[in-house]
Amino acid sequence: MLQQITALIIIAFFLAKLYWQKQKNQIGINEFVFWLIFWLLAALLIIGLKFIDRLVAYLGFSGTGIEVLLYLSVAALFYFVFRLRLKLEKIEKDISKLVKSLALKDK
Amino acid sequence: MKIFCVIPAYNEAENIVKVIEQVKPLVNEVVVVDDGSTDQTGALAEQAGAKVLRHIINCGQGAALRTGNEYSLINGAGIIVHFDADGQFSSRDIRQVIAPIINGSAQVVYGSRFLNKPGNLEMPFLKKRLLMPLARMANRVFYKINLTDPQSGFRAMSAFAAKKVCWGQDRMAHCSEIMIEVKKNNLSAAEVPITVIYRRFGQSFSGGLKIIRDLLLAKFIN
Repeated sequence: MLQQITALIIIAFFLAKLYWQKQKNQIGINEFVFWLIFWLLAALLIIGLKFIDRLVAYLGFSGTGIEVLLYLSVAALFYFVFRLRLKLEKIEKDISKLVKSLALKDK
Repeated sequence: MKIFCVIPAYNEAENIVKVIEQVKPLVNEVVVVDDGSTDQTGALAEQAGAKVLRHIINCGQGAALRTGNEYSLINGAGIIVHFDADGQFSSRDIRQVIAPIINGSAQVVYGSRFLNKPGNLEMPFLKKRLLMPLARMANRVFYKINLTDPQSGFRAMSAFAAKKVCWGQDRMAHCSEIMIEVKKNNLSAAEVPITVIYRRFGQSFSGGLKIIRDLLLAKFIN
């Protein structure tokens, strides 16, 4: 219970920070909505941890709900790193195009 | 038919002048793409009589060749030769590499270090016996490309082929991608023996893995 309360306090801190960043126009609307959904979902999962425990047991996982959430978050992180990698590759290609244009300018 | 030789160069001040001097009498124009060198490569190449195109940052050999190809096509090249700046290739082989294009038997010609030429015995053992056979196998299995030298940087292509072949790889994976593009566009290809004098190991095993990684990532981007 104490762990859940601690986690919710941390989430509340990040939500407040998110609101503050939006107020100061430091982030765009899309980013704001993404992180808002992310933190609200995290809070929801923490509140419903008992339900998740039962759900994962029903689905046949050997771990507890929080462990399964951890596995899922690691998988999500891998996916985000991959997406980031693709984005970087694309940026590199765009830079190459610019470099080529500059090299060929007036030649 | 105007012959352009494109030489991508990155920090090759030591070799570039000699390479240009050897290549110049055999082609109509030598195009050196100075790929963000921090030494005198560009200035020396210009003094040696080459047309120098400057990349303001280092983008990789594939990107430099793309710039060189585009310049050559704009300036009326009939045949474009790709040649290395490190002095490992022999300029004498240029005639043999362009011959199949001139006589109309091929549109793209690859120089091969594995067809009979005595100088090539100096290829590092690991490269000859492990890395190259693996690369050849990958080309055969994944792309149905049956060439003896999967990573040779010495090639020539007609202007028609150069317009068709569009490679996106900036770094070393461009060699494989060019072969894939040639096959995809149904261009006639040939291999001729070339001499290579090894001064450096060149592509390492990790370099080979990077090529595979780049080719795979490109599948997702495209």
